Amino acid sequence: MTMVRAVVRRPLPARIVLAMAALALLAPIVAVFLGVVDIPPAHVIGVFLGQGPADARSIIWDIRFPRIVTGMLAGVNLAVAGLLLQTVTRNPLADPSIMGISQGATLAVSLFLLLSVYIHHAGSTDLPELPVAWLPTVGTLGGLAAGGLVYALAFRRDLGPLRVTLCGIAVGAVLHALAIGLIAGWGSNRLEVLLEWLSGSLYARSWQHAAVLAPYTVSGLLVLPLIRRPLELLSLDASVAQSFGLAYRRQFSLALLLSCALAASAVGTVGPIVFVGLVVPHLARSLAGRHSALVLPLTVALGSIVVTFGDLVGRLLGRAEEIPIGVITALFGVPVLVALIRRTP
Amino acid sequence: MRSLTLTIAILIVSLTVLAGGLLIGARPLQPQVALAALFAPDGKIASILVWTLRLPRSLAAFLGGAGLGVSGYLLQTLTRNPLAGPGLTGVTAGAVTPIVACFTFLPWLSSVYYPMIGMAGGLAAALTTFWIAGGGTARPLHLALGGISVSMFLGALTTWIILSSGPQVPALLFWLSGGFQGRSWPQLAYMAPWVLIGCFGALASHRVIGLLTLSEQAAAGMGLQLSLWKPVLLLLAVLPVAGVAPVAGPVAFVGLASPHIARLLRPTGPAWTIALTAAIGGFIVVSGDVIARGIAPPKELPISIVTALIGGPLFIWLVQRRGFTTGGGA
Repeated sequence: MTMVRAVVRRPLPARIVLAMAALALLAPIVAVFLGVVDIPPAHVIGVFLGQGPADARSIIWDIRFPRIVTGMLAGVNLAVAGLLLQTVTRNPLADPSIMGISQGATLAVSLFLLLSVYIHHAGSTDLPELPVAWLPTVGTLGGLAAGGLVYALAFRRDLGPLRVTLCGIAVGAVLHALAIGLIAGWGSNRLEVLLEWLSGSLYARSWQHAAVLAPYTVSGLLVLPLIRRPLELLSLDASVAQSFGLAYRRQFSLALLLSCALAASAVGTVGPIVFVGLVVPHLARSLAGRHSALVLPLTVALGSIVVTFGDLVGRLLGRAEEIPIGVITALFGVPVLVALIRRTP
Repeated sequence: MRSLTLTIAILIVSLTVLAGGLLIGARPLQPQVALAALFAPDGKIASILVWTLRLPRSLAAFLGGAGLGVSGYLLQTLTRNPLAGPGLTGVTAGAVTPIVACFTFLPWLSSVYYPMIGMAGGLAAALTTFWIAGGGTARPLHLALGGISVSMFLGALTTWIILSSGPQVPALLFWLSGGFQGRSWPQLAYMAPWVLIGCFGALASHRVIGLLTLSEQAAAGMGLQLSLWKPVLLLLAVLPVAGVAPVAGPVAFVGLASPHIARLLRPTGPAWTIALTAAIGGFIVVSGDVIARGIAPPKELPISIVTALIGGPLFIWLVQRRGFTTGGGA
């Protein structure tokens, strides 16, 4: 039956593809039009045509637009990283924040921000410019280190998905305690920044953030089609995959590395936005149904849609005191996770 | 006999740490000065340091650790799951979030009610986790994932509340990282009943616990009313956390690790396991507290850093043990 299906290529479900493409395009447009400051739609359109009042121009070009783009990039990174993690660990519940990667990035970024105060500070009270350009890199290194630690711990023996996940949880818990402790102990003059960052927020993200994040997203998306076949094999049992001629360890490590880089760069830029990496791949799979080729594009589209709309909801609900996107995704992601846990045997 | 000796030995070591802790801090004391201040307080700096700062704080740390350990033991017995503990079942987060909320939104509410609020939250979170994980005998992975999702959910809420609380941020955050800094006799008296009821309640029901460790069927077969005892034990498990959380914030990994260390010492029967667990939990936290304030005075390290650094590796070692998967029923 499955063979027949594979040979008789079904046409891709055009409706799903169209709907997702439309949503992915619509999300940033809606997000540009709406915000705490009311800008008449005519002015928004005017701004894009190169006219419009100066304050509207500045709000849209300097505040809303870069924030939306950064969010889209981060959403794509997190969602694809989750898909990769779920595939290679053969654990439907894997996610950058459950596997300790987010916490590693968090700790590294906190440490860096705190140290940067000590390095630049040297007695003066005025804070130096945040070393924004460095954050994604620092976060990525931290996330990679945490991922590597989990990997090393989990693969010392032949450990199944259970132990990989538990090791991830343990490493994550230790790193999280360290980060919170560091921030509480030494964060006094950076508390607001660190806390807001810690809850996963797109607040005040600029073009600089988007520019730092974009290379990771683009190179990740370029590499992914190349490793599609190894990925499919990786989702099988190790011995089966090897019998297909797959260099299992190498491909596994490569996929893990890629997912760490994607997740960690996103966390480094916008903080740990939880559950996006977990929930989006599941949504994508259930939408794609039998068309496995659709899972990846749908994951990309949904990742950007979820974060864009989530951030919009947080901006509008909280008004001036906006709700961080990380809180929104946690509030909406937990019920989905609960349903998944209860369904998984 | 052996269990008694072990318990007494650990208590003596804890006492030694406690006594040593009197000397250590932002202003170190000479042993003879500390002794003089201890037995003949004269209202000078040394006796203030000993009597109002260091002694009650160390006692609170010991008591808190003992309570968290017993809580972890009860949760592990109830779920028959080696990974259960106040942290991993969401009990801690469940106690912390409503307390943070009250601190921020209802500042007029006396902190006397905080343990009540913490208990209600902890119970609710524990029940939610057990429900997610699919009942009392959940598999380790499901329990861990259920607990972590409940904790993450509550953690996100807590962060949001803290963000909107403005000027109280540093105080809240330090409390959130766990610690006994500045805790004195009132705080000790405040958490003592909760911890003591939890510990002595557990000791008093050691026969029930002994039956439960066999298996639920066996316990029911011996005439044990599970529908009565399981909620009672869960309540006893949440009580110490509800008492400790308002005073010291979440202290990580102690509740998970202490029962395992106690079991490694092979105590005879549940009553001694409880006693040993309490002694070990107390020892870990009292040492952690001394380390936290002794490592870089006058700065203090939040105690969760210390306990996470000790407990985390232990947890990973537990997960990696060969017997874990089969023993845990995965």
